[in-house]
Amino acid sequence: MKREAGWYKDAIIYQIHVRTFSDSNGDGIGDFQGLAQKLDYVQELGVNAIWLMPFFSSPLRDDGYDISDYRSIHPNYGTLDDFKTFLSSAHDRGIRVIVELVANHTSDQHPWFLESRSSKDNPKRDWYVWSDTDTGYRGTRIIFIDTEMSNWAWDPISKSYYWHRFFSHQPDLNYDNPAVREEVWNVMKFWLELGVDGFRLDAVPYLIEREGTSCENLPETHQVVRELRKKVDDQFPGAMLLAEANQWPADLRPYFGNGDEFHMAFHFPLMPRMFMGLRLEDRKPITEIMQQTPEIPASCQWCLFLRNHDELTLEMVTDIERDYMYDIYARDKTMRLNLGIRRRLAPLLDNDRRRIELMNGMLMSLPGTPIIYYGDEIGMGDNIYLGDRNGVRTPMQWSGGWNGGFSIADPERLYSPPILNPVYGYQAVNVLSQKRTEHSLLSWMKHIIQIRRSSPVFGSGSIEFLHPANHRVLAYVRQLGRETFLIVNNLSSAAQAVELDLRRYKGNILIEMFGKNIFPRVGDLPYLLTMGPYQFYWFRLRRI
Amino acid sequence: MAEETLLTDDFLRQLINVGEVDILVGLPTHNNAKTIDPVIRAVQAGILECFPRERVVIINADGGSQDGTPERVTGASIDDVWNVSKVYALRTLHSISTQYARSPEPGTALRTILAAADLLRAKACVLVSPDSTTIEPDWLQRLVRPVYNDNFDMVSPIYRRQKFEGALMRNLLYPMTRAIYGHRIREPYASEFAISGRLATDFLDKEIWNHDWGRIGAEICLTVTAMTGKYRVCQAFLGTKAQPDRSARDLLAAMRQTVGALFSSLDSNFPLWSAITGSQSVPTIGALSEVMLEPVRVNRKQLWEMFATGVAELEPIFRSILSASTLSELQRIATLDVSDFHYPGDVWAKTVFEFAASYHRSVISRDHIVQALVPLYRGRALTFLVENREGSGEDIERSVESLCGEFERLKPYLLEVWADRK
Repeated sequence: MKREAGWYKDAIIYQIHVRTFSDSNGDGIGDFQGLAQKLDYVQELGVNAIWLMPFFSSPLRDDGYDISDYRSIHPNYGTLDDFKTFLSSAHDRGIRVIVELVANHTSDQHPWFLESRSSKDNPKRDWYVWSDTDTGYRGTRIIFIDTEMSNWAWDPISKSYYWHRFFSHQPDLNYDNPAVREEVWNVMKFWLELGVDGFRLDAVPYLIEREGTSCENLPETHQVVRELRKKVDDQFPGAMLLAEANQWPADLRPYFGNGDEFHMAFHFPLMPRMFMGLRLEDRKPITEIMQQTPEIPASCQWCLFLRNHDELTLEMVTDIERDYMYDIYARDKTMRLNLGIRRRLAPLLDNDRRRIELMNGMLMSLPGTPIIYYGDEIGMGDNIYLGDRNGVRTPMQWSGGWNGGFSIADPERLYSPPILNPVYGYQAVNVLSQKRTEHSLLSWMKHIIQIRRSSPVFGSGSIEFLHPANHRVLAYVRQLGRETFLIVNNLSSAAQAVELDLRRYKGNILIEMFGKNIFPRVGDLPYLLTMGPYQFYWFRLRRI
Repeated sequence: MAEETLLTDDFLRQLINVGEVDILVGLPTHNNAKTIDPVIRAVQAGILECFPRERVVIINADGGSQDGTPERVTGASIDDVWNVSKVYALRTLHSISTQYARSPEPGTALRTILAAADLLRAKACVLVSPDSTTIEPDWLQRLVRPVYNDNFDMVSPIYRRQKFEGALMRNLLYPMTRAIYGHRIREPYASEFAISGRLATDFLDKEIWNHDWGRIGAEICLTVTAMTGKYRVCQAFLGTKAQPDRSARDLLAAMRQTVGALFSSLDSNFPLWSAITGSQSVPTIGALSEVMLEPVRVNRKQLWEMFATGVAELEPIFRSILSASTLSELQRIATLDVSDFHYPGDVWAKTVFEFAASYHRSVISRDHIVQALVPLYRGRALTFLVENREGSGEDIERSVESLCGEFERLKPYLLEVWADRK
């Protein structure tokens, strides 16, 4: 599948963990063969890219984000040949594949680290960040505040401290060492040569450490990224780099550089504010963060998401906003993890179909490439009593049958118990039953994805927010070339009347994009819309 | 529906845009440009600091200001408050203004605000005076929290006052309201208070809006409604209350608004208040009434002259209002030299009760009855000032309490004259 430049701008990405999706060999763990068998489903959903969470060899102490060999597949998930077959099948269906590059750190079981810690004279000693004391880089925050007391960990073998921004079993690589940078490029090259279409680079801001700084977003980190990007562009044009940088928009902007760093970056601050705006019934949090969102180079793109495999991160909100989010969305403290909320979309929204649709409507219509987390398209639930973030990584629910159709293994053998409760359990929420129902959430998701993909306006168009006096309504105009879309979202649980100033579009008629119905022509007067609770409209403006 | 004609289309449109709110802050104004800025800043800061999550709207009901007051309200930027206090609002904070149709009347402003609270389904509605230049941001939460969090229906303020301020309240409104309705509410005619959405809605449906008192004395009727209905009432200590400069003419207007409304309330509530004996305290949050002891200059001679002149000149009117014994006692008091002047509490209580009964019977024009009380009140105020000139805060409290005791003790006398004069 040819990597066309800019393909990611119009993509809709489906995030999958191989382990959780489908088990082909009955060992209770999802694998690549199982995933390949479900590609028809992914294609029917309408998405055109898959982002795979780490599937590499790993002790799995952090669900694969602790890699012990970047070039091999974890045996639980199959073989490299299985991966190649999956990749080929995905490409045959027009689906691109993005893989993880967990480049900031490795597992402490990675041979590089084993060598590095073996002696202070080992050639790989400088592949990691070592110190005789644990007092360096004091200005650096701890990310996993629930589990880690320090960013330094004592290594009893080499009798010194090593630096880690995440779990202590995940030592940070030393990107000041050219040999590390070269080897990371070799890893990327390996997968690009196999045909993957891009990488999600995990934990990008933390690549470089400097004394007296926060050790985040340093200029030297950007230099590393630029080097990698240049090699990608030179040798694998069209391949995409996606940054995971949980930062404020102004701090994220440099990761796009002049179009010479990342192609895409997650817009972390927007996501919690969408949830906040919904519960506050006020567009303020959303419009404020969008106002703070800087312009990015034309070739670049924001990546938007509602939920993913991690907790709903609340790092990029103010204290008062975080308190509010906890009170509203995670009153039970079991739901909280680090600075976030470990819950799936449907439970967060009280399984309210109208709110789920509205949030997906905004996800699909705000500027950026949307990501759908596996299972959210059918309204899967979570299990907050599983540790860490495992509660949002339960088996995909394919049917109401044995293990929800995920695996033929004995239920006790599954890598994780499936969701079983009467509301979200696989007997109530599953793909098979929703495929048979025209008005299921799955059917609705297919429809909105189809509409989203019908025009490049959503992926590449400009956005201009309208400012109706009714603050419960979030309205914006998306425009690209001669195409103009008007998006109007009612964030309120009650019906609303809203007057929109559309005078500049005078003479246009509005065509509602879901039902294709015609709405009255725009005139000089404010355009009055009445909207049901959580209703949203997508209008195509046409001058006829 | 009353609000159908009360609210302009433009105001209604603004209310539609605001939608349901948790807290409504009402600002009745008329030419308050000189004082409104600190008030609006304090209100905004109070909202940001204490109610960042709640849906709040500031509604300015303006009586036709010519000095740009409404523009100052709606133009006050929340960013200025944010920059100073570094507190952050999660929500949009709406500030809207409407000019009600009639001439400036506090009752109409209140009615407009209550109608908005009703339409917006506000859980708590707080009124703030545009000339309360000493307002602090936390006044807002002190008034609102009991309603919003603790299910009270009315929160009446308690202020820290200079010891000779609020004389009308201390000598007439508080003692009489307490004796009549049995609740010890220190500020029954407050310019700052909070009420529940339930009380706002119920009060809107009252008949008073069709009477003059609905336009000029609605606040005291609201307090009476809260006391006489099944509503939970409490008081909250706010802090120092600035007393605006008032002329003699202001006193007459104030008495029309307050004493007139209080007298008027007796008509419709007779079955209720006639059965009440004694009084009960109401829950009070924060300090009790506080007194500042800074020396204040008082023109005793002027007050004495106004009293004596009034007793002499208004004798024909007093004959139709007062009993012979009370009038005789007043005439005796009027002969006293200013240095010996003393208008005892029991005589004052009887005077007020006889005025109330006459008002009920409308022996002459009701407005004239209220006007006739003004010089007598000045005499009582003189006694209060003289008695407490050297007194401490506790002395003043004892004095007020003693007067309240007289009003309560003589309440049977009110019932007597009330019946006699029917």
